[in-house]
Amino acid sequence: MKPRLVALLAIASLTPALAQSPPRDQLTIGITQYPATLHPNIESMAAKSYVLGFARRPLTVYDQDWALTCMGCDTLPSLDNGMAQRETTPDGRPGIRVTWRLREDLRWGDGRPVSAEDLLFAWQAGRDFSTGFGGSEFYRSAYEAIVVDPRSITLRFDRVTFEYASAGDWQPLPAHVERARWEQEPRSYRSRSAYETEPTNPALWNGPYRVIQVQPGAGITLERNDTWAGPAPAFRRIAIRTVESTTALEAQLLAGQLDMIAGELGLPLDQATALERRVGARFRIGYKPGLIYEHLDVNHDTPLLADRRVRQALVMAIDRAQIVSRLFDGRQVLAHGNVNPLDWVYDQSIRQWPHDPARARALLEEAGWRPGPDGIRRNQAGERLTIELMTTAGNRSREAVQQVIQGMWRQAGIEARIRNEPPRVLFGETLSKRRFTGAVMFAWISAPESVPRTTLHSDEIPTAERNWSGQNYTGFRNAEMDALLEAIPIELDREKRRALWQRLQAIYAEELPAIPLWFRADAHVWPRWLDGVRPTGHLAPSSLWVTDWAVR
Amino acid sequence: MRLILGLALLLLLALGALGAPLVQEALGHDPFAPDLFLRHGPASPEHPLGTDELGRDLLLRLLYGARVSLAVGLATALAAAVLGTAIGLLAAWRGGALDAVLMRLADGMLALPALPVLVVLAAADTGRIGLPRGEPLSDIIRIVAILTIFGWVGVARLARAAALSVLARDYVRAARALGAGEGRILLRHVVPNIAGPIAVATALAVAGAILAESTLSFLGLGIAPPAASWGNMLSNAQDLVFSAPWAAVWPGLAILLAVAGCTLVADGLRR
Amino acid sequence: MIRLLAARLVQIAVTMAILSFAMFLLIGLMPGDPIDLAIAGDPRLTAEDAARLRALHGLDQPLLARYAAWAGGLLEGRFGHSRLFAQPVADIIAPALVSTLVLLGGALLLAGGIGIALGLLAAARPRLAPAVDAIAILGQSAPSFWLGILLIILFAVTLGWLPAGGMSETGGLDSLRFLVLPVATLAIANLAAYARHSAAAVGLTLREPWITAARARGNGEARVLLRHAFPNAAVPVLQVAALDAGALVGGALITETLFARPGMGKLIYDAVMGNDTNLALVALLLVALVTMLATLAADLAQRALDPRLRDA
Repeated sequence: MKPRLVALLAIASLTPALAQSPPRDQLTIGITQYPATLHPNIESMAAKSYVLGFARRPLTVYDQDWALTCMGCDTLPSLDNGMAQRETTPDGRPGIRVTWRLREDLRWGDGRPVSAEDLLFAWQAGRDFSTGFGGSEFYRSAYEAIVVDPRSITLRFDRVTFEYASAGDWQPLPAHVERARWEQEPRSYRSRSAYETEPTNPALWNGPYRVIQVQPGAGITLERNDTWAGPAPAFRRIAIRTVESTTALEAQLLAGQLDMIAGELGLPLDQATALERRVGARFRIGYKPGLIYEHLDVNHDTPLLADRRVRQALVMAIDRAQIVSRLFDGRQVLAHGNVNPLDWVYDQSIRQWPHDPARARALLEEAGWRPGPDGIRRNQAGERLTIELMTTAGNRSREAVQQVIQGMWRQAGIEARIRNEPPRVLFGETLSKRRFTGAVMFAWISAPESVPRTTLHSDEIPTAERNWSGQNYTGFRNAEMDALLEAIPIELDREKRRALWQRLQAIYAEELPAIPLWFRADAHVWPRWLDGVRPTGHLAPSSLWVTDWAVR
Repeated sequence: MRLILGLALLLLLALGALGAPLVQEALGHDPFAPDLFLRHGPASPEHPLGTDELGRDLLLRLLYGARVSLAVGLATALAAAVLGTAIGLLAAWRGGALDAVLMRLADGMLALPALPVLVVLAAADTGRIGLPRGEPLSDIIRIVAILTIFGWVGVARLARAAALSVLARDYVRAARALGAGEGRILLRHVVPNIAGPIAVATALAVAGAILAESTLSFLGLGIAPPAASWGNMLSNAQDLVFSAPWAAVWPGLAILLAVAGCTLVADGLRR
Repeated sequence: MIRLLAARLVQIAVTMAILSFAMFLLIGLMPGDPIDLAIAGDPRLTAEDAARLRALHGLDQPLLARYAAWAGGLLEGRFGHSRLFAQPVADIIAPALVSTLVLLGGALLLAGGIGIALGLLAAARPRLAPAVDAIAILGQSAPSFWLGILLIILFAVTLGWLPAGGMSETGGLDSLRFLVLPVATLAIANLAAYARHSAAAVGLTLREPWITAARARGNGEARVLLRHAFPNAAVPVLQVAALDAGALVGGALITETLFARPGMGKLIYDAVMGNDTNLALVALLLVALVTMLATLAADLAQRALDPRLRDA
């Protein structure tokens, strides 16, 4: 019985299953995560953003070209068009008032127009911190809301940042459904919200689709929203199915049960490139490098890593180009710093660190590390050049990279000791309480032009006194960097801001607070007959532009 | 017959594990050094079973993986056998309230949903109770410790039942009458006579531990890289199972053979 | 009988209490919580947000206080809310339990059916016994996720006969197709025990004098086997089934993950990993309860079937 199974295994790679031709009014999408909640403002997770992208319209969003655009509003506020005005706050600080006007044709699924009242309610709920909305910084800064007319609302902020036109996660909530539930008791609102108790209520959804069925843990089904006045989407129904094991996800795709796999929550890159090589005729794979910065955080409080020369040697000893070309089919963009080359503030001229083992060795010699009898370097005191190299246990792609880096470092006389922990332990304790001594491989996910204050400012180094807040896990301190991080957000002039960003990147490349690896790419798997899906490469999901999707 | 077949299987695997350095010498490459130019290489004279997702020789990794997997299996089984026998003997010998408490504890363990509890234990932060985190040897110790928590129950129940019947025999009474010490009675008369059932339970525990290690690896809670175990080889191969099926087939077969070998030995001993 | 039942029930209650506390401690010992993870995944969340959200969810309370609050609520029949899914725990567990029981029922029926058939075959035709043994040993020796992947590749991807996983969208008979592979994966690992126990028991029974008598009366071999020998083999098989039931309710995690079927194993895993103590504890305790009740039921049934045990 076994030998036959094994023989058939080999055939499996040659004969694709007969694809039943699916009825093209339904699109079935596989993702690897199930959204724990459908409430737009509570808990941020990729699966939720992806599902809500079909069924809700935020006010503003960064589009596929990484420019801020209006989605639920009709004009992007700016100082030039007068919808944003500088002013002074009551306590005498520079402030700004910004007015957003909702699109005229935006309606909830029960036919009621989306109104300024819905935005006012969302602001009130967010402003009351016991409601439990995430990302309170926006609500803290927006100290007053004024309903101008049924479609317009003005917020007054006590801070002027270049992102003033962005409404962020502040989106209309259907006040006629939710307000009463919230007013009853804000603290337990989350569990009584209609988004949790009756997610199929049409009044919750104002996008091209609405939720019609929820199978906890397994999937969510969406159907065309009759009250949607924008361009009609191509599919009557969209079924989103959760399959957490990527092996199983690929199997369901090959068996014809799934039409596509969303790149935001899809196959690891090497699995996708292997899929493309085998069955490229059935599927189209779109690779989109994104704002996911894979890097090694190194602890600057460890004496050997505090030496800039050692950090530079660590980068030059790794053949990152080789890793990307061999392990990831050349699909990821090498990182020379923390700013993505696709971001408009990226500086082409920043210092790059090529693979250069000779210079790496020379720098280590200079820093006092000389080869020992077993090939591992030692300093004058006889200490071995050993670095603890950690990452998230169970992430196969990172564990593979980690072993390759270990081998490359060894060539330069650096010993890496691998010690991995489950994500909960690594992020919940080892990183956030700075209990690592060497290097940790993980990724930062960000929005376009987001200022890396929490990861680089010396005030953001987690300590017990500060209740371990902050994400500057490396312990990097640089006075000029601190000044830049404070200046960039409040510089409204693009060209002046670009100059500041260039300086920030120059310091980063020279000082190497962390070892840059690459920007991760998402692999989107689409059927050959589907057109028009454009991944964004940042936090906004491609599903927000579902009305552009078409059957070829 | 079964005993011989099972022992032969296990012996073969153990010889492979012990002979890994010799095979490495003969083939002349390092199974722990990645080679990015050789990923998923086909079988060839230099790589009899091909290479894995990082270009390392599959045969050598299987052999070195056998060391870890068999070590986990044997260490768990031995720990379970020692602990289980001790508890079983204690219960049978002292009887009364102690017996009741120990056996209710065993019943409770049997009722526990093992896998979820294993997951909790494997994900718990061992650093907090002073165990080192992450290193290969401490990984093995951690997994052995976790699996032993469940492994002792079966042995203890068998040991207690067998010991009770031995303690009731005439020659034990005779020995007591002759003034033999209790320790001597247990060691000289009881233990040798209950060795059979304990051996059966131990053989089955080896099989269970090897399977459990592969399950924990599937969940990302097993032996950490770059050490090879059959479980983590299998789990690392699963993403690319459609394009490189052999990297998953071999470690799976190795587990199958080892577990079948242990089961055959247990069956053989039982007859 | 009644006294025995009462004693066992008390024992079950004590076990549950100890278990709940041990699990609570263990889950509490695990560092980090979803809020830490949320911060790592969302650049817009600040450390102040984290402290605020943690306080909101009661995660900043000491462990013992949380246990006391939880256990007190449970005794009053309040299972509490799942923090991970923002829904009453009972509402989340009920569908998962149903789904798992369906999977489990299928697996027990299939494993029992095939296992007993193989056992009878081995007992009736001793020459076939080694082959039956080989099948049983190979089945229980394969790592379950490996076996599952092989089945998926063969039947779903290569042959295209069956779905590779997930749940039926139309329901009814169609959902049976979705059950075949996961049920088979679970059953193959478990049929060995049934085959061996039934073979051993029937083998013993066939040597009894009254079987010879039945044969002498001119009963056919098949009739002897099914009508006379088999009922006597039912007792050990029943016990195996009871033990299996418990292991499978919590242990279907791998099968549920691989075949993307929500169920108790997956739910407990997610709850534990997400530090959702309410959900994890209620689900774990429920599984332990099902296991212990199944064992108890098997013991009682055994007494009913086997008169010799009644006085013991």
